[in-house]
Amino acid sequence: MTVDGSIDAIAASIAEGMVPAYVYSDPAVFAVEREQVFRRSWVFLAHESEIAAPGDYVVRRIVDDSLIVVRDEAGAVRVHFNMCLHRGMQVCRAEVGNAAVFRCPYHAWSYRNDGTLAGLPFHDDAYGGEAVLARDEHRLLPPAQVETYNGLIFVCLSPDTPPLREYLGDFAYYLDLYTRHSASGIELHGPQRWRINANWKIGCENFVGDMYHTPFTHRSVVDIDLFREPKANKRKEGVVYFAGKGGGTTYKLPAGDFRERMRYVGYPDEMIARMAKAWTTSQHRLVADDGFMVSAATAFPNLSFVHNWPQVRSDGNVVPFISLRQWQPVSATETEVLSWFAVDAEAPDGFKRDSYRAYLMCFGSSGMFEQDDVENWVSITSASRGSMARRLLLNSRMGLDRNGAELSPPLEHFAGPGTARAGFGEFNQRNWLTLWASHLTGGPLRERHEPSEGRR
Amino acid sequence: MTDAVYVPALPHDDARHLAAQHFLVEEAAALDAKAWEAWLRMLHDEISYVMPVRVTTAVGDGLDERADMAHFDEDLYSLRKRVERLRTDHAWTEDPPSRTRHVVSNVRTHATSSEGEIDVSSSLLLLRSRGDTRPLEVVSAGRDDHLVRVGERWLLRSRRIHGDEAVLRTQNLAILL
Repeated sequence: MTVDGSIDAIAASIAEGMVPAYVYSDPAVFAVEREQVFRRSWVFLAHESEIAAPGDYVVRRIVDDSLIVVRDEAGAVRVHFNMCLHRGMQVCRAEVGNAAVFRCPYHAWSYRNDGTLAGLPFHDDAYGGEAVLARDEHRLLPPAQVETYNGLIFVCLSPDTPPLREYLGDFAYYLDLYTRHSASGIELHGPQRWRINANWKIGCENFVGDMYHTPFTHRSVVDIDLFREPKANKRKEGVVYFAGKGGGTTYKLPAGDFRERMRYVGYPDEMIARMAKAWTTSQHRLVADDGFMVSAATAFPNLSFVHNWPQVRSDGNVVPFISLRQWQPVSATETEVLSWFAVDAEAPDGFKRDSYRAYLMCFGSSGMFEQDDVENWVSITSASRGSMARRLLLNSRMGLDRNGAELSPPLEHFAGPGTARAGFGEFNQRNWLTLWASHLTGGPLRERHEPSEGRR
Repeated sequence: MTDAVYVPALPHDDARHLAAQHFLVEEAAALDAKAWEAWLRMLHDEISYVMPVRVTTAVGDGLDERADMAHFDEDLYSLRKRVERLRTDHAWTEDPPSRTRHVVSNVRTHATSSEGEIDVSSSLLLLRSRGDTRPLEVVSAGRDDHLVRVGERWLLRSRRIHGDEAVLRTQNLAILL
């Protein structure tokens, strides 16, 4: 297979709203994704609240690259490639912890948590001391770019990608609705981690705009009165929006002002007051005037969000929760899901507890929503492996007529940025896939085959 | 590194151990048979059912489970909801259903200061088969249970499930441990 030829064919088909089924399991496509998507996108790694104190670290991955995300002694967030400069051993083999120093277990080269080389055995005898090997000139390799937004730590492995804020574009407006409920921002708990035999893209596409699956896939949670909103007639009153590097779904709220609508979703008054302060006028109007509440969303490439408000006790009251999740590819046919519970740092303890419970009942490894999603995605991945799937273009044309014209126009009045559309349609999935295809056809990365970072 | 604490268990012919062993095997039978209502009747009204997220940490960190995140953190209401869902016609992930085998062993019983309460630890291998040919999924865990006698019956008052994997390799926990 010539990569360029078939990638161009994939992109052309995506532009028609027809998705070659094999992209959900093909190792050659995955090899291109690894380079073109995961090396040139801003990829989420962790939230600052996960590494609150100096020395706190978590180890996360971008496909095969193991990265230590750590707060150094001066309080700065650092990201280090988890590979000793000497013989390449991983200097950290735990997943979470606190360390002033990372010491390689092979020959005991030691690195401060800011990444600089602190010590190495027989420095004078074996290396000629500082005159030959100056320790402060050696540090664990940092990725090309590290930036944060609302405390979310993102990394980009390529130096050529624009800065994070520019990359996110207008999606940042919607990101705030999940991650800025007060001046203090969110705290992230978790993640739960589990591996599923599904291609990483399927979850991204589902969260970016699939309102159409909700009434059927998630019918059981309506049956048991856990979450009443997904009924089909209600779901299609929501809108999907796409802005910058992401898109998402919303639910239409009953009539009311900002406070009444936030109460309907289950927020206590003190949190509503803080949200009213933390949000811009336009963000406030999205709820107060337009009556839309964000639900699922995806930021390209593989960070998704969900916000639902299930009933977690027999008293009939609903409690909202937010989850962040990452679809971390392991291979073309396997994905590690990292699923966090997010809550405003200033929220009352009772709310945090109830919201956590709402999250566990609905999403994550045991969540009653998520269980049925994953079953679908594993099945799609499995079905896409064979020769018949090589012939099949999956129909993702919902909302278009035969000529590609939109069956109904975008909303003229919508408080948020980007393009918003009411009802069922696959505009968002096509937008996400178009971003994906544009990465695949984006040409080779500049520094790809030129290792040059180690020091003598 | 200090040694972990070891406390010898009751002898295996102790009546309380026999009751604990009987309870766990009967419970496993109910779960494997998908006799959900029978299983719910084995639970105390105040049941706490928790499976913390396991993490890989360095020796000496003193913590290998997340304090702030679990796979399950359930009470009777949420467990009832899970069962209620499995009994709808729309719990797709379990249609066709998993074939499960709860293999319980290494049962150890400890007396408590109360005559009608015992602590029971056990090892669990949950084997889960889905579909025609997918490889058998395995969840390996230790369980720390607290059983309370109510009248003639023993009921599960609390369970902490200590999974052996930091990253689960089963597609979801639409099953009970």
